[in-house]
Amino acid sequence: MKPIIAIAKATVGEAIRRRVLLIMLFIATILLFVAPLLGVLSQRSEQTVLTGFVLGIVQLSSAVIAITLTVYMLPNEVERRTIYTILSKPVQRYQFLLGKYLGAIAALGLMMGLMSCVTLVEFGIIQHNWGKGIELLQGIGMFFVQMSLLASVAMCLSTFIAPLVNFFLTGGIYLIGTLGYAFFDSFNKNPNAPGFSKALAWFVSTILPNFASYNVQNKLINPDSVIVDPVQYHINAVIYGVVYITIMLIGGMLIFDRREV
Amino acid sequence: MAAAIETKKLTKSYKSKAHGMVDVVSQLDLHVEEGEIFGFLGPNGAGKTTTIKMLLSIIEPSAGEGYVLGKELGDFDVHKIISYVPERPYYYEYMTGMEILKFYGSLFGITDTARMDMLLEKVNLHRDKTKTISQFSKGMQQRIGLAQALINDPKLLFLDEPTGGLDPIAHREIRDLILGFREEGRTVFISSHELSEVELICDRVAIINHGVIARQGKLTELLKGGRVELSVTGVQRGFFEAMKLNDSNIHETASGLLFDVPEEADINSIIDGVRAHKGAITGVVPRKKRLEDLFVETVNAKNQGDNRI
Repeated sequence: MKPIIAIAKATVGEAIRRRVLLIMLFIATILLFVAPLLGVLSQRSEQTVLTGFVLGIVQLSSAVIAITLTVYMLPNEVERRTIYTILSKPVQRYQFLLGKYLGAIAALGLMMGLMSCVTLVEFGIIQHNWGKGIELLQGIGMFFVQMSLLASVAMCLSTFIAPLVNFFLTGGIYLIGTLGYAFFDSFNKNPNAPGFSKALAWFVSTILPNFASYNVQNKLINPDSVIVDPVQYHINAVIYGVVYITIMLIGGMLIFDRREV
Repeated sequence: MAAAIETKKLTKSYKSKAHGMVDVVSQLDLHVEEGEIFGFLGPNGAGKTTTIKMLLSIIEPSAGEGYVLGKELGDFDVHKIISYVPERPYYYEYMTGMEILKFYGSLFGITDTARMDMLLEKVNLHRDKTKTISQFSKGMQQRIGLAQALINDPKLLFLDEPTGGLDPIAHREIRDLILGFREEGRTVFISSHELSEVELICDRVAIINHGVIARQGKLTELLKGGRVELSVTGVQRGFFEAMKLNDSNIHETASGLLFDVPEEADINSIIDGVRAHKGAITGVVPRKKRLEDLFVETVNAKNQGDNRI
């Protein structure tokens, strides 16, 4: 366990100093601060627009940060030869991969934590709506599980795919899993759909991760969604995320264990 | 003496689209004794780094077998008593020298900061222990690399180009540290292009070319075959020709003759002969065979398909 923690800590230290990630975080924070100004541009309820916009910024920036952070993680270690000094020590490859992953989501957690603070300040202090602010934090919490899942997909793919391809592939999986999941799921369950299309829909809705289930807070995406038992829903979503992450990491470990570095 | 590294027909092959299966390292028989500094030489792409990766169990051999400190390749336990410093190593730049040692120490479960202080002092970085790696010069980075490699008190160190790209002062510092490792009883396996450096510090060397060991042995034995140049006046060319010495050359110079003979020739007899014929010896210059000569000769011979070596 000690090597995993050591590698995770080093990964956090490096991630929070990566300029490209800090720039993304900076832009997201600025956008969060100017978000209230955009409410006046819409005819819809100012609060609804603001909520949707804030969650959208957090989700989009976190997704870009999660993908950028993880797709280069393993290739960089190989390119800089750091991996050799580490793997020549009593560190198993699965420990290395797990340490990198945990470090990545810890760094992501810190960055999302900062965005959560900004959101809380935004709604609690500026808008005087602490209730909404805390409600949004729950939404960001679900996004964190979503991003951890996304990072595990990127991490798994990074064990055998070049970073740039991985960036677009993971991004594509995220888009389909977020925006197209419900469509593919209903298509899969449609008895009148053509065989090939149904098989494709089954593949997408079964194999690809369901990122959409973590967007319950965003009324702009799911305006008509009604959750009967929110607690149970959240627990199920977290369990689904943890199981999927575990599968992705085990897959990544098995591939990485056999890979020549 | 026990072997620190022993390989038997160790081979690593990769699939190439153009050439099918290609042996990057082929039938490698390597023998490194405990407590020696072993130089592993070869041109770029000869298979040096692939060999090191196999010995470190970072990659698996395609065929053959190997033992590191008596344990078969792939035995995880051996990682506790070996260390590796790669060529141009990168360390997390935001960390200080002390933090680097703490990081690598934690991979072994080592938390002894007194030992870390001692190692920083050993590599002469104790005054810079609060500087981050990004503030380190190349030489300092190489020294912190050696310090991290010593964190587990290894019996065997693998150093890949330890002096590559360093200035003469840093060269000297690294060389002294490596020589110190031998005095401490550690085995050092050095992969290097710096032939003059290797010649100064290594006990034995192996030259690998196109994945095959071309030469291996004690440096003193491999470097036999130097020449001696005798500058002579007062005797004629025919005097030396009459000696019928194998592999000798006679050159005319402004002041007389230059007689170039193998170092194993009986120099005293030649000198006595010159004096007996009223000649004079004006100079005796031994031309030692250099590792660079051996290296070039070996690599060229192999490239030309000469398998006599």
